Amino acid sequence: MMYPYDLAKQEKERFLLQQLNELTDCHVEYCSEYRSMVEKSGGFTQAETLEELPFIPVQLFKMMDLLSIPREDVVKVLTSSGTTGQQVSKIYLDRETAVSQTHALVEVMKPVLGGKRLPMVILDTKSVLKDRTSFSARGAGILGFSNFGRKHFYALNEDMTVDWDGLRHYLDEHRGSTILLFGFTFMVWEYFYQEAEKQNIQLDMGESILIHGGGWKKLQDEAVDADIFKRELKERFGIRRVHNYYGMVEQVGSIFVECEQGHLHTPNYADVLIRDAITFGPLPMGEQGLIQVMSVLPKSYPGHSLLTEDLGTILGEDNCSCGWKGKYFTVAGRIPKAELRGCSDTFAFDRKEGNG
Amino acid sequence: MRVFWPKSQNWREVIFDLRKQETLTPFHPEVLSFVQALSMRLVRMRAYPEVVALGYWLRRAHIHEMKEAWLEETKNRFVKSRGTVFHLAPSNVDTIFIYSWMLSLLAGNRNIIRVSGKEQLQTNALLSVIIDVLQEAEHTTIAERTIVLTYDHSEQVTAFLSSECHTRVVWGGDETVNAIRRIQLAPIANELVFPDRFSLAVLNAEAVLHAKSEEKEQLLQRFYNDSFWFDQMACSSPRLIVWTGSNEVIEAVQIEFWSLFDQVIRAKEAELMSAIQVQKFATGLALAAEVETKEFKHGTTFSRVSFERVPANVRERHCGGGLFFECKATELAGVSTMIVDKDQTVSYFGFSKEELGAFVEQVPTRGIDRIVPVGQALDFDGVWDGQSFLKSFTREVVIL
Repeated sequence: MMYPYDLAKQEKERFLLQQLNELTDCHVEYCSEYRSMVEKSGGFTQAETLEELPFIPVQLFKMMDLLSIPREDVVKVLTSSGTTGQQVSKIYLDRETAVSQTHALVEVMKPVLGGKRLPMVILDTKSVLKDRTSFSARGAGILGFSNFGRKHFYALNEDMTVDWDGLRHYLDEHRGSTILLFGFTFMVWEYFYQEAEKQNIQLDMGESILIHGGGWKKLQDEAVDADIFKRELKERFGIRRVHNYYGMVEQVGSIFVECEQGHLHTPNYADVLIRDAITFGPLPMGEQGLIQVMSVLPKSYPGHSLLTEDLGTILGEDNCSCGWKGKYFTVAGRIPKAELRGCSDTFAFDRKEGNG
Repeated sequence: MRVFWPKSQNWREVIFDLRKQETLTPFHPEVLSFVQALSMRLVRMRAYPEVVALGYWLRRAHIHEMKEAWLEETKNRFVKSRGTVFHLAPSNVDTIFIYSWMLSLLAGNRNIIRVSGKEQLQTNALLSVIIDVLQEAEHTTIAERTIVLTYDHSEQVTAFLSSECHTRVVWGGDETVNAIRRIQLAPIANELVFPDRFSLAVLNAEAVLHAKSEEKEQLLQRFYNDSFWFDQMACSSPRLIVWTGSNEVIEAVQIEFWSLFDQVIRAKEAELMSAIQVQKFATGLALAAEVETKEFKHGTTFSRVSFERVPANVRERHCGGGLFFECKATELAGVSTMIVDKDQTVSYFGFSKEELGAFVEQVPTRGIDRIVPVGQALDFDGVWDGQSFLKSFTREVVIL
C-alpha cells in the first residue's frame, strides 16, 4: 500500500472522526465567530459519524475574517483567485498550519512524483510570487509545488507569452531526466498549448509529468474535457503523464490528486462527502451533489469541514484499480450562479468598466 | 445599443424625431385606448402572475378611477405634462418599467425607456407584446412618442439621454442611483430615484393564533406571494417579521406558522436553486456571528434568523431567496423605534387602522412609506416611496 493512501475505510474514519472532532472543539474555543455559528445554529455535540460533523460554506471566508489564532501569530495570508471586483477568501495561517500544509502536500504527491526533487518547469510567470506574505491561490499553488522541483524555470514572460527559446534550452539541458511541469489548467491550455498550436510549435518534453489544477470552467466553455486535454498535450508536447488535482485555497495541502486511472483520491488526512444540492442531506455513493471537503490540517482557521459550491460524485472507496485506498471521485464543476430577481442590482453600473 | 422601438437602428435620429412630437394632455383619449389595448393583452399572460397583476392595474375601470381623481384634484387649475421622461428600468422586477412608463404616458409625456440588457424571458415576452401593440395602426400617436432601447453601461449615452429629458426616473437601488446621479441632467429637469429599500411584516401573534383555519390559510398564501414572487428581492417583499404579543403566544404561533408555511411552499413545487441554498446558509451563519443574533435555523424551503433587534447594517446583508429575519415586540407601538430610514413597506395582519395610524405617527426616522395588509406588499401604486408619479410627471401653470 502506498502512503498516504493506505488507510482503509474503518480505520480512516476512526482517525478522521477523532481528529476532526478535536478541531471542532478547538475552533469553537478559539474562534468566537465560529462558536456563535455552531451554538446559534443548533449547538454541537461530538460527531459520531463524519456526516454529523458541522460544516460551513466555503464562501463564508469571503464574507468575513475567520481565525482561531491571535492576529500576531499570522505568518501567511492566502487569498482565492476571484475575478476582478469579486470578493476573495482570506485564509490566515500560523507557522504550525503552514508547515503541516507543506508537509502534507509533499506526502500527497510523493506516490506520483517519487522522493527526489525533479527539474521543474512552471507554466506561469514569476511575478505571481512577488509578495511573500500574501498569496493568491495561484501563488500558493506554485509555492507549494515548487518544493518538488529544482532549477525552477518559469516558462511565461510577464506579458503571458511563452519564452520558447528559454524552454527549449532548459529541455536540452535536462534531456534524459524526468521533468516536472506545473501549471493551472486553463493557463496550460490557453497560454501554453493554444499558443504553440497557433505558432505551429511542436516540442518533445521527454519523460515529463504535468501536474495541473484550478478548475475546468474556462475549458468547459470551449468544450475541452480531460480526455481532449490529455490527448492534445501528448500529441503536441509528448507529455504522457498528466495528473489533475482538486483543491482550494481554503484547504491548502490536503489536495486530491488523480491516480493513474484518472480518479481524484482522498489521502489519509482528508475526505469528501457528497450532499444533496438543495437539502444538504448526505447522498449515497454514485450520486452527484455538492462536495463537502474535510481535512485535519486547518488549525489556525475553522476550515476543517467545508461545503463547497462544486458538484461531484464519489465513484468508490478503497477499491480503485490503481491500488490506492480511500474514496475516489470526479468533479463536474461549479453550481450555476444564482440570478435573483429584485429591485436592487439593476443597471449594474459599478460592475462593468469602460464606455460600452 | 439596441433600439427595440421604433424599428430603426439609428438611435440618435430616433431621439431627434422624438423631440418634434408634441406632448399630449393628461389622460388623452389616445393614451387611454392604448393602455386599454395593452391591458387586454397582459391579463392573458397567465404564465406570469405579476404581468397579469399589471394588466389588471391598467384595466379600464381602474384607469377611469385614476382619471376621475385627477380631474377632481386639478379642477380649475392648469396642469401640463413635462415633456420627455427618461426611465432607467430595473433589470429584475420586470414589470416596474411599465408602471412608470404608463403613468408618464397618462400624464401626457414622451418617453424614452432603457430596459435592462440582461436577457430575461419575462422582459422579452413582455417586450414583444408591447411592440405588437405599438405597431397597431390606431396607436401611432403613442408609437411616435415612445422609444424603448437598451445599451451597456455608457456614461456618454446616459449623459446624452439625460440632457434630452425633462424628467429622469432611476430605478435600481443605491449603486445605480449614485452612479446615475453623477451624470448631469438638463438644468430644467427633475428626477425621481428609487434606491434600495427594506420591508417588513408585522404580525399580531394573538390574531394569527386565533384566526380561523381558512383565514390562516389565506394569510399564508398571501404571505407567500409577498415574499416569493420576486424571490424576496423586490424592495417591498417582507424580509423581517416582527411578532407582537406575549412571549408564550409568539412562540406557540411561530411553530404553527412556519410549519404551515413550509407546507405551502412545498405545495407550490417552486424550483429551489442550489446557489441560493448555499447563499442563505452562508448568510445565516455569517449573521449568527453578530451579537444581536439569537438563533439561526436553516431549512430547505426557507431559513430563519431570530434577532434581539435588527441593526441597519444587518438589514443590508439580507440575501433574499427565502431568508426571514424575526424579532419580537410586546405591542405595535414598540415596533416604531425599530424602523430605520431604509424601511419602506410594512405589511400587517391583526391590527386596526387606528393602531397603525398611531404606529406611523411614532416612527422617529425617515422610514415607512406604505402600510398594507399582508398580500398587498407588491401591489404597485401611483404613489411609491412617498412620491406621486403623476405629480412628478406634470407641472402646474399658475395664472393669476
